[in-house]
Amino acid sequence: MQRPVSSLSLSPSVKSKLVAAGFQFTSDLLPLKPLQLSKEASLSQQEALEVLQAVRREEGGDEEAGDGRGGGGGRGGGGGGGLASLTALELLQKEEELKSIVTFSSQLDAALGGGLPVGKTTEICGAPGVGKTQLCMQLAVDVQVPLCFGGIGGQAVYIDTEGSFLLQRVVDIAAAAVQHCSLQVEDDEQRVAMTTFTVETILANMFLVRCHDYVELLAELHLLPAFLSDHPRVRLLVIDSVAFPFRQHFDDLSRRTRLLNGLAQQLIAMATGHNMAVLMTNQMTTRLRGGESQQVPALGESWGHAPTIRVLLHWAGSRRLAAIFKSPDHMGSTVQYQITSEGFRDVDESERPPSKRPRTHADQSAASWGDAGH
Amino acid sequence: MELHPRVLAAVRRAQLASFRDVLCVSGPDLQRLTGLCGSDVQQLLTAAASSCRRGGPVPVLLFHRRMETRLGVGCPVLDRLLRGGLPAALSELAGESGAGKTQLALQLCLSVQYPTQYGGLDSGAVYICTEDSFPSRRLLQLIRHQPRLRSDVPPSLINSLQFSDRVYIEHAADLDSLQACLTRRVPLLLARGRVRLLVVDSVAALFRSDFLAADWLARTKGLLALSSTLHHLSLEFTTPVLCINQVMHTCPVYQPGDGCVQRLRRQFGPSNLQRDL
Repeated sequence: MQRPVSSLSLSPSVKSKLVAAGFQFTSDLLPLKPLQLSKEASLSQQEALEVLQAVRREEGGDEEAGDGRGGGGGRGGGGGGGLASLTALELLQKEEELKSIVTFSSQLDAALGGGLPVGKTTEICGAPGVGKTQLCMQLAVDVQVPLCFGGIGGQAVYIDTEGSFLLQRVVDIAAAAVQHCSLQVEDDEQRVAMTTFTVETILANMFLVRCHDYVELLAELHLLPAFLSDHPRVRLLVIDSVAFPFRQHFDDLSRRTRLLNGLAQQLIAMATGHNMAVLMTNQMTTRLRGGESQQVPALGESWGHAPTIRVLLHWAGSRRLAAIFKSPDHMGSTVQYQITSEGFRDVDESERPPSKRPRTHADQSAASWGDAGH
Repeated sequence: MELHPRVLAAVRRAQLASFRDVLCVSGPDLQRLTGLCGSDVQQLLTAAASSCRRGGPVPVLLFHRRMETRLGVGCPVLDRLLRGGLPAALSELAGESGAGKTQLALQLCLSVQYPTQYGGLDSGAVYICTEDSFPSRRLLQLIRHQPRLRSDVPPSLINSLQFSDRVYIEHAADLDSLQACLTRRVPLLLARGRVRLLVVDSVAALFRSDFLAADWLARTKGLLALSSTLHHLSLEFTTPVLCINQVMHTCPVYQPGDGCVQRLRRQFGPSNLQRDL
């Protein structure tokens, strides 16, 4: 297979000089000596030598990969082919195998189609105190529920940028989850699984990183893929919150947008590449429209395109509601939840209002800026 | 840093002064600026990230083994409500005028000085006043009555503590002087272990007087900067920070510049909300 020159790992200026001199494929470069190459492509001696070394290295590697690998889409080289292509049917089969992370609120799980989806990025926004961090901590525990109980038995990485990760609360939520599962033990497999599902193991399988500003956050995310290769059981990444470090000290908003876009791409790549769910928390900011103020998610409208699924937590009087307002898979819907001493839960049957609930003001405001924002 | 000299030279040529600057540029942009090849750029980013990170992911179990210490308020009812007391994070105390916010803050300045088995942190407090002068007479009165107020602590221990020596008082009339105090003087006290509590009384006063009605953008920036400084101090020195806020009547029709307390609180960032009863 002919490999193009652009797939070599060289600096862009050298590559453009090679292409301008007429070298399309690496096989063209093979028979040349360094002096000839430097004259033809107007490169320095050193650069020509490096080019030829790179070419010989790649060609040598190719031969080792085995002859007869005709279709070779998988080993597409540096920048060239990339990953093997999949058909849509294969993708569908892969997606069906991916399980979701169950929250302990059956209503929210139903609205999300099974729970927090793995392989996608989800954002939770809401006013302070509404329960975003509670949901994050609940999910960091829920991801560890063993397979025989309907969970996915994974580990979690929790990036805390606000200092709102309180250990005592996580211990409470973990203890309640263990209690909940131990009451449902029916067979031997589950009994065995319970021995590995205790508060200690839950805390041992949750990794905490504290970031004080946005540079530390960017640094952690750069180094995370290496950590994930060492810990292949990680199935959830929580960033609480992504808004806080980016809302400080930013005079140049376009720079902030660039950084956020880069961050979003990294997170999507990690979610699909490492088969895990990414959960981000966002804050709310006030937008002025005419003479009225509205609560909208922070970080600007361009950030709204970054997460695949967006959930808004808000108050309606004394009730807490969760509204899904952006999702490719599910209808926009609103469910009620409560925060108990055990964590994030459904509201009890008796307290729930009748099913034909008229659209409240909160729903309308959530829907109106949701439409207007995109 | 064990980077190839060629990489370092390219970075200097691209005028990237520090690893922080390197991290803020995307991969392809970095390649374009430095003229390095892909693998060199990856190596550079990894080196930059390693130097900028504070510490990698740690299992939460390790934190569990050394339990979080909380600052008890000195009132059993409130301590039970707060599950031990104030955590080492930013807390906000809001209430109407005369509800007792300053009293609670003064009490905290004394309770922090007790040893940990009595809910304290065995250290002093910094009290920053932004409005009226510090109520020193009231503090001395509280000190005199400590044996009666804290009946759970043995009197010999109370007598041995020199309470007034360990309360450091600062006055800051505007936002700039407050930031100066928080970035220069307070970290020194915290670093030496002299104080483990920071009280700002009050936050609202600075923002109401300094900013005109139409200046809400500058006000937001100032608020976010202050919130960031306080968060950094709290995280860096594992210290509870208490901010006292005032309550205003909420207005049905929004007018720019009107300090609705909800907005003040929202921009101030997440914090433990404790309504003054």
